[in-house]
Amino acid sequence: MPDYRGLVDEFVAKLNKRKVEGSQATARLTAELLRSVVSLQKLPCKNQASVLIESVRSVGVQLIAANPIELAVGNIVRRVLHIIREEDVSILTSNTGDLNLSTESGDEEIEQDNNPSSFAASIADIYRSSLCAPSLHALLEDAPSTKAPCRIYTSGVDSEEKDDKHSLSRKLKHFVIEAIKTLIGDIDSCHDQIAQEAVEHIHQNEVILTFGRSRTVLKFLRAAKEIKGSFKVFIAEGAPRCQGHVLAKELAGQGLKSTVIGDAAVFAIIARVNLVIVGVHAVMANGGVIAPIGMHMVALAAHKHAIPFVVVAGIHKLCPLYPHNQEVSLNEMRSPSELLEFGKFSNFMDYSTGVGAPPLHVANPTFDYVPPELVSLLITDVYCKEEEILKLENRLWTSNVVKKLVCLTENAYSIHV
Amino acid sequence: MATENPHSQQNSNPQISLYYQTRAAHHAVVTSDWLAQAQAAVGRHPEDAVSDNSSAGGEESGNGFSVIDEFNNWRKQPDLAEAVAAIRALASVIRSSQATTMMELEIELKKASDSLKSWDTTSISLTAGCDLFMRYVTRTSALEYEDFNSAKSRLLERAERFGEISYKARKIIAMLSQEFIFDGCTILVHGFSRVVLEVLRTAAQNKKLFRVLCTEGRPDRTGLRLSNELAKLDVPVKLLIDSAVAYSMDEVDMVFVGADGVVESGGIINMMGTYQIALVAKSMNKPVYVAAESYKFARLYPLDQKDMVPALRPIDFGVPIPSKVEVETSARDYTPPQYLTFLFTDLGVLSPSVVSDELIQLYL
Repeated sequence: MPDYRGLVDEFVAKLNKRKVEGSQATARLTAELLRSVVSLQKLPCKNQASVLIESVRSVGVQLIAANPIELAVGNIVRRVLHIIREEDVSILTSNTGDLNLSTESGDEEIEQDNNPSSFAASIADIYRSSLCAPSLHALLEDAPSTKAPCRIYTSGVDSEEKDDKHSLSRKLKHFVIEAIKTLIGDIDSCHDQIAQEAVEHIHQNEVILTFGRSRTVLKFLRAAKEIKGSFKVFIAEGAPRCQGHVLAKELAGQGLKSTVIGDAAVFAIIARVNLVIVGVHAVMANGGVIAPIGMHMVALAAHKHAIPFVVVAGIHKLCPLYPHNQEVSLNEMRSPSELLEFGKFSNFMDYSTGVGAPPLHVANPTFDYVPPELVSLLITDVYCKEEEILKLENRLWTSNVVKKLVCLTENAYSIHV
Repeated sequence: MATENPHSQQNSNPQISLYYQTRAAHHAVVTSDWLAQAQAAVGRHPEDAVSDNSSAGGEESGNGFSVIDEFNNWRKQPDLAEAVAAIRALASVIRSSQATTMMELEIELKKASDSLKSWDTTSISLTAGCDLFMRYVTRTSALEYEDFNSAKSRLLERAERFGEISYKARKIIAMLSQEFIFDGCTILVHGFSRVVLEVLRTAAQNKKLFRVLCTEGRPDRTGLRLSNELAKLDVPVKLLIDSAVAYSMDEVDMVFVGADGVVESGGIINMMGTYQIALVAKSMNKPVYVAAESYKFARLYPLDQKDMVPALRPIDFGVPIPSKVEVETSARDYTPPQYLTFLFTDLGVLSPSVVSDELIQLYL
């Protein structure tokens, strides 16, 4: 039994009880957990990558089952799986040179193959092509191999000596852990990366509307304030949790002109607004977003008045699933106590009085789905790093990113963990 | 009826699009003698046909060799897409070519592909297939540093693989589309598309419960053929006349169509009636899904319905039409991208704008 079992159980329990809140925190914790899974997993000499993948995958399945609506978990698990495959391929390619040397020394096993180095190289190529997104270009340049990429992984270098193997296993683990560290760093810095974009979108004396509270939006507005100075923010409170109040306090503390409005006042106020900026829970593969309850109404209001509806989201929120997938259509029902005080209404909600179900029900769903037609722009952190700031029409943008994401995940065609 | 399919160099009947003649041969009601014909065509070994042709052609660098005949040979296989047939035909041009430099070969290929394209200007996938192959030959860095013979064999190998890709593409598309078909849904299908049939077949094999509404598909009644195939799979199917689409749209959950070609705007060119179905679906908020292999991506940018090479096709009205009455015989229409939800291609599930991105990147 692997040693990480306890850690996993602990995190699963946390997810189950909804003790972890917010996609960013969840994404971070997931990545950290997977890092310890990788470092604690004992690796055999052969097929290290597949062992690693198998253990990460089984942990991932548990985590996703623990809280299916927190899509960031699945996204991070897919990212880590991709990292392992990528590192495996790069090790395989770097070994090509070694193989070449060992042929000269006359190794029997290798000489069975006529041209071992080119063979290994071609395997590496196959893996590489299976890792990147399929495109017409790839179809022409490097047609998918006729021989199905059999799962060889690092076993291709079986003929190496023992201590070599040992160093190799450490190498793979080491690289994977390094890459996961970078991933965690990326998750940590995603707000700042997105905030860099703020200058391009917010201008002097504009009126911004936001909804509820999102750390990304907070940083975004703060960054805009430092450069652009004066603009006004309307904050819809985001009932029933009223996180908007917290955001209003934070913004006012920064010296930004903030106004709190009720959710029902969004339509009344929208005509005065220049731009709507919101944070979301998850971005789906079709460009639609899963957002706090009430967001659909805000998006419709913005659409009706032709006001840009801008979504800010870290790349860990981009999810290669479509909104009709089972996991996604589930909404989370929260406690009715957020809506009603139990004392006042207890007579109508008590199962013990009267016959059958009580007459009064309270529904408190957590999420709204906003279809892609209503989202005008999606700002995320991934392209800033590549100094390639793409601000295209939302649909192209998202589907491109998601296309990349999908290939970041499994082999291109199975996007489930 | 398939036996009358002309295989001559010239299109004997300019009134009927060659593309639709092929389709009629492939998709019309199957008669036993047609089946025998098709069997014979499949059974014939391609290598023989090539060597026959080239030996007859003599030394004059494959002059006697006709790429169109070759294409027609390949085209007879009902499961082989036109684009693949075209690529295979071009491959046999390479095989029988006596060119000694890459440039010579390129010119020869260009000629062959031009003649193929001009032989049937109405087939979009034929044009797209030729373009794709030509692009590979002329613009690929992989060929630059090799000597001529290995480059040539590489090209041949690539052409062979394309055939497999085309077959695999349908499987991939069918797999990708499965998560979009949910239990209890009703799917509206227009025209007969091998990809769409594959999608529905896979769904039926996966024990999904769904219902299909088939349009009749006048004038060549392709919908009848599709409903026939679906009934064989025990899928509940209902036939509609083409004008009943709006009437039935409220019970439909999604529209599935194939495509003759996918164009640079991200829209599709497909059998007549697709545009109006897409319009109805859009106004009733139903998703429109297109299943199309990536070799149907064509370098066209139609601005409106008339901005295409017209593909004509006879229409039987059952009664004689007075000579003064004009008949619209165009066989297909253009559906702009804003009416499509997703395209299922072997490159993944793409939104129309990604398709145009893909095409622009390829030919940049």
